[in-house]
Amino acid sequence: MESLLKLQDISKSFYGVKVLKNVNFDLCKGEAHALLGENGAGKSTLIKILSGAYKLDSGKIIFKGKEIHSSYGPKGAEDLGIVTIYQNFHLVPHLSVAENLALRRFTTEKGILINWPVVYKEAETALQKINFPIDARSKVKDLSVAKKQMLEIAIALSKRAEIIIMDEPTAALSKKETEVLFEMIGQLKAQGIGIIYVSHKLEEIKQVGDRVTILRDGKNIATLNLREAELREIIRLMIGREMAIEQQEKTDANGDPVMALEDVRNQHFVRPLNLMVREHEILGITGLVGAGKTELARAMFGADKIDTGKMYLQGKEVEISSPRRAVKSGIGYLPEDRDAKGLCLNMGVRENLTLAFLAKLKRIFLDRRSETRLVRATIKSVQIRARNASQQVKYLSSGNKQKVVFGKWLEANCQLLILDEPTMGIDIGARKEIYDLVHRFIEKPRKAVIFISSDINEILEIADRILVISDRSIVADLQARDTNKQEIIQFSMRLINQAG
Amino acid sequence: MISKQIRAVFSNQAFSMLLILIAMWFVLSLLSPYFFTVGNLSEITLQTAVIGIIAAGETLIIISGGIDLSVGSIFACSGVLGGLVLQTTANLPAALLTTILFGGILGLLNGFFITRLRVPPFIATLGMLGIARGFALILSRGIPIFGLDPQYLWIGQGKVLNVIPVPTIILLLVFALVFFVAHYTRFGRFAYAIGSNAEASVLSGINLKLVTLCIYGGGGLLCGVASIIESARLATIQPAGGSGYELLAIGAVVIGGTSLFGGEGNVIATLIGAIIETTIRNGLNILGVNAFWQYVVNGGVIIAAVAVDQLKRQL
Repeated sequence: MESLLKLQDISKSFYGVKVLKNVNFDLCKGEAHALLGENGAGKSTLIKILSGAYKLDSGKIIFKGKEIHSSYGPKGAEDLGIVTIYQNFHLVPHLSVAENLALRRFTTEKGILINWPVVYKEAETALQKINFPIDARSKVKDLSVAKKQMLEIAIALSKRAEIIIMDEPTAALSKKETEVLFEMIGQLKAQGIGIIYVSHKLEEIKQVGDRVTILRDGKNIATLNLREAELREIIRLMIGREMAIEQQEKTDANGDPVMALEDVRNQHFVRPLNLMVREHEILGITGLVGAGKTELARAMFGADKIDTGKMYLQGKEVEISSPRRAVKSGIGYLPEDRDAKGLCLNMGVRENLTLAFLAKLKRIFLDRRSETRLVRATIKSVQIRARNASQQVKYLSSGNKQKVVFGKWLEANCQLLILDEPTMGIDIGARKEIYDLVHRFIEKPRKAVIFISSDINEILEIADRILVISDRSIVADLQARDTNKQEIIQFSMRLINQAG
Repeated sequence: MISKQIRAVFSNQAFSMLLILIAMWFVLSLLSPYFFTVGNLSEITLQTAVIGIIAAGETLIIISGGIDLSVGSIFACSGVLGGLVLQTTANLPAALLTTILFGGILGLLNGFFITRLRVPPFIATLGMLGIARGFALILSRGIPIFGLDPQYLWIGQGKVLNVIPVPTIILLLVFALVFFVAHYTRFGRFAYAIGSNAEASVLSGINLKLVTLCIYGGGGLLCGVASIIESARLATIQPAGGSGYELLAIGAVVIGGTSLFGGEGNVIATLIGAIIETTIRNGLNILGVNAFWQYVVNGGVIIAAVAVDQLKRQL
């Protein structure tokens, strides 16, 4: 088949860290080539180089047999016919479908008046080309996610795309919508367009892709023909040899339950949730992107309302109807997005540390002297490196920021701590410190931690017990020492089921 | 080490504003021999009292990430109701209490619109600007109230120990109180936290709605206090009074360096900001500049203050 694109020995570093090491990749006309790898394997960097967002350090890009200048920029990528469809759409929500299709025209054409009949006619032709019924006059904000995606594809085609890159395109699609998308991809292939398909979902890749290239730690591991490859083999190649996971002492928790959910449902969880975490236990929760991990944390913390079901804390039934109630009952929450949801960035370390503690109090006045004492002790015990207690939190490193959020819940003396991706964006040294804090926390009586992470290595390292969540339900409950990465991935992709 | 401390003091907004104020006083005293007299300086503090007290409440509102455009209307409406109580009952304490509490109620109403009806502060208080002004005119039938009690007038015109005007004392007491609330109560801390990051505050267990309600209620109370002082000074309650005070109050807050994005600010700097505004007006008067120009200068100073602040942030 005719080659459309060839990447040869692509390398890229950020701040001295090599994220891509001599990566090779090629794409033929009318082929769907999947790109697979764990978080941090280098998939998104590779895509961003192709879409012109990043400049490569070394290597060659050969487009239709000709070597092209490697740093062409986003505009250059479009001119070549390389279009990327991201998860968050680049559409203008308050404009109509036709207007979105014609945006480029509006900006590039000279003249003052818009020729509306032409705009609508062209929109209809563009929509017909993808054979998808959307009313050209409907507002983009009223479209479903799937339709927005189709519109993005139509826009891509109207730009004469030859290569379409799709980054996790089914993350927000229903099963039926996914089918429609796959049909669409089939049509695109028939038109000779090359598709680069990035996804975590192996089943899908097998269904839609012709070949797959597996990246691991920024290196090519293999390129396989998907018709012949076995899923197990792909997973093995993706995760590599089992890393020797540093086995922390895993407790066989048989203490009293600290928190339990019984048949809990809410807007995000249609199927009932049941879980329990015991004294001195670190309960890990993992799953793919979009499986519902953060939604689960928010339900337990009262940030999303629980519709039916019961929640128990230290054996007593509680009603957690708001974060305020959760804090008062002794639950703490480190949100995934700590800058936007965990910290008051332009306030000091001191004010951030005592916020939840103060919210629990019933007094009117601040006891500044004992606050100072408390803050000093916490800064020391969680080892926050700040110039002083009044330094604004925004100037701290991400590790130190996270320690401030952690310290906030220590001061509030909570019993259950829910950590949502607590080490995301944190360097390895600070990561260890966070793990130590977690271990020290659960040593005390009546304390437990729920540790949410999509990094399976991390979950295996820190958790005593692991819940795997997939498509908004808990699909496996595993003892950390009896399981492995392969098994967890298979559960999270629903390739196997847990008996019982 | 010492230079670091000096830099810290200079970067303190309240201190740099104080330097600007002193510089202005110095220039004005060169320009007019009348300016730097005890009489005129005490006049400045007197003139600052009304706007300063309103601005004190506005500071907390802006620190919490909100804004109150309705201060001038609440000021007039609460004053009119208190005046009517005074006319009908001749009971001075009841009248004073009515003015202050009704100001508080109107402020709470702002808070209600914002927290329960989810109307953005700008719109909620813009609406209140119309509503409260309307009721001030309806209740008084558009006629100013005269014939106030001599005791009532003492609040605006009296002097303690024959030197210090009563409004000046009230001004200082209000600022001491608001400073204390801002820095020595949980409520004050929460006001800053909400302005800095409302979502993080809620996820830390703060009762966002209650705190917001109290902030606007407090702002309203202070409008009532300011209303009493002004009417006592002028010996009349004007249903049309206080119009444009939102410009002066918000101006004092931003000249004092409080961030309109919330979470940062200083009540004492607002006091200095209010004195700077009064000094400009007073200075222009003394120099014989047409009073209409005061609006222009005031507006310009507000824009300049924020522009300088933005520049400083970029450095």
